[in-house]
Amino acid sequence: MPRNPNLMRADRIGYVAGGLALIAWAARRPSLPKALAAGFGAWLLYQAYTGNNPMFRPLGLHVNREPALPDVAETLLVEEAITISRPPAEVYAYFAQPEHLPALADATLDVIRANHAEELAWRALRGEKLLHFGSLEFRDAPGGRGTIVAARLEYVPAGGSLGAVLSRIMGRSPQRMVVDTLRRARALLETGEAPTTTGQPSGRR
Amino acid sequence: MRALCWHGRHEVRVESVPEPKILNPRDAIVRITASAICGSDLHLYGGFVPGMVKGDILGHEFMGEVVELGGGVGNLRVGDRVVVPFPISCGNCFFCSRHLYSLCENSNPNAWMAEKVWGYSPCGIYGYSHLLGGYAGGQAEYVRVPFADVGPLKVPDEVSDEQALFLSDILPTGYMAAENCAIERGDTIAVWGCGPVGLLAISCARVLGAERVIAIDRFPERLRLAALKLGAETIDYSEANVLEALRDLTGGRGPDACIDAVGMEAHAFHNLAYAYDRVKQAMMLESDRPVALREAIMACRSGGTVSVAGVYGGWIDKFPVGAMMNRSLTVRTGQTHVQRYMKPLLARIARGELDPSFIITHRLPLEQAPAAYRMFRDKQDECIKVVLRPQFRT
Repeated sequence: MPRNPNLMRADRIGYVAGGLALIAWAARRPSLPKALAAGFGAWLLYQAYTGNNPMFRPLGLHVNREPALPDVAETLLVEEAITISRPPAEVYAYFAQPEHLPALADATLDVIRANHAEELAWRALRGEKLLHFGSLEFRDAPGGRGTIVAARLEYVPAGGSLGAVLSRIMGRSPQRMVVDTLRRARALLETGEAPTTTGQPSGRR
Repeated sequence: MRALCWHGRHEVRVESVPEPKILNPRDAIVRITASAICGSDLHLYGGFVPGMVKGDILGHEFMGEVVELGGGVGNLRVGDRVVVPFPISCGNCFFCSRHLYSLCENSNPNAWMAEKVWGYSPCGIYGYSHLLGGYAGGQAEYVRVPFADVGPLKVPDEVSDEQALFLSDILPTGYMAAENCAIERGDTIAVWGCGPVGLLAISCARVLGAERVIAIDRFPERLRLAALKLGAETIDYSEANVLEALRDLTGGRGPDACIDAVGMEAHAFHNLAYAYDRVKQAMMLESDRPVALREAIMACRSGGTVSVAGVYGGWIDKFPVGAMMNRSLTVRTGQTHVQRYMKPLLARIARGELDPSFIITHRLPLEQAPAAYRMFRDKQDECIKVVLRPQFRT
């Protein structure tokens, strides 16, 4: 079954190097565990050849070869959405404040498109370096249920897709950041405050 | 202040911790006058619930006196005597505005954790793991109550602490369990588990017009209470085959609705599936032991309702999905939408139609909470319900 390539460019070089290294290490003094390692190395080489890692889809990694900005050739794409029980104009006004947009720490945000109550797009820079770029789309939720905010964020992960997987496991991924930002916005817009337990007592020392 | 802290499986301690502070405009601080130990606290005590951290303060059934208010709470005054519902609910979101308070979208700061286990997150709950927000609980001298303009209910002077306390959880839980049965004239309701929730579900099923109630348990003091106080027929599952007994008692058709008031730590006798569940749970291949749930589904009359009030946490095996589908069963469940039931149930208590305080067997100082947990877990001293009183001194 032919599969669409989904590896990033940096990944393929890493997969070849890693696969060859595992096979070479296993060949020096063969044993059963080493044979398994060699098998894994061969699987990495095969993925480098096909350009497809079948684990990306279950892990939720989406490599985008047609980024919204031409500055980079390929990105990882995060797409999240939330429904907020407030009208689009109000939700838009909240996100139109750049400090409310999804951003990694220490980034300077540069709003590049702003269509009232419909769309906001921005890029995030640290000095000269482009960290990520993204957009929010606002539309009426059906049946007067408020506003659907659809977020798109594209970034180039440090360490390729392996780096992205590790940051997801650590719970510090751009995806979590986007979700947390949207959820905080909903809480603030609907209730006037963000839920927290920071500062409450416990029996921890 | 003094507070009961979780320190691992079967280890809880009363410790000195800082007093809670107002953290958000809609917070209140409540000085606790009564706080109960819930059957679901035993799931935490036994280490069956993920997301607990050493030092967490337990307790989600409590009442007390308002001592401090954030600027955003307009409907309470310092000095008000209130009972606090266990779901932390904002009152503004999609779910709260549909009175599905336990599904509040805005009260769990750790929603991402719950989403990993359950797909979407329910509301935050006091003292019930970091999966449900990591909020400090009310088995303590003071507690912080978020969204205090929505949850706490003022208690009139003529209703005592012991009558009002269970509005926080188990009385609405028993009521919702019975309400979910959609009871009609002539209906027979079977209730698995005669702990506090099971007993109150029996009371509420009676109030809602059940013709007969059949109570299933193995502890004689609990079955006695169900029979003598509530007029239920009883089955001791350590002696009888429950399915056969229910068939005989219901003219060969089965109960019209079945309430599972047991949940994830069910016990059984002479039951191969039970041994299977114990082994799988011990090996962490299955999170819950659904013995009561399976039995309730198999026992229920065709076209009837299975109402699940007992707490489940994760995944189960050998679910009798064929019985559920082919016999047109309805399964209704959920963490209780407590805020929906508090006012009407308080009115029933004030009118004398309901008095949930009959289940209390032990009234103890907060300092004795660790011994009380042990006693409640082991069903020693005919323990059914423990109420902790922080102001009692040892």
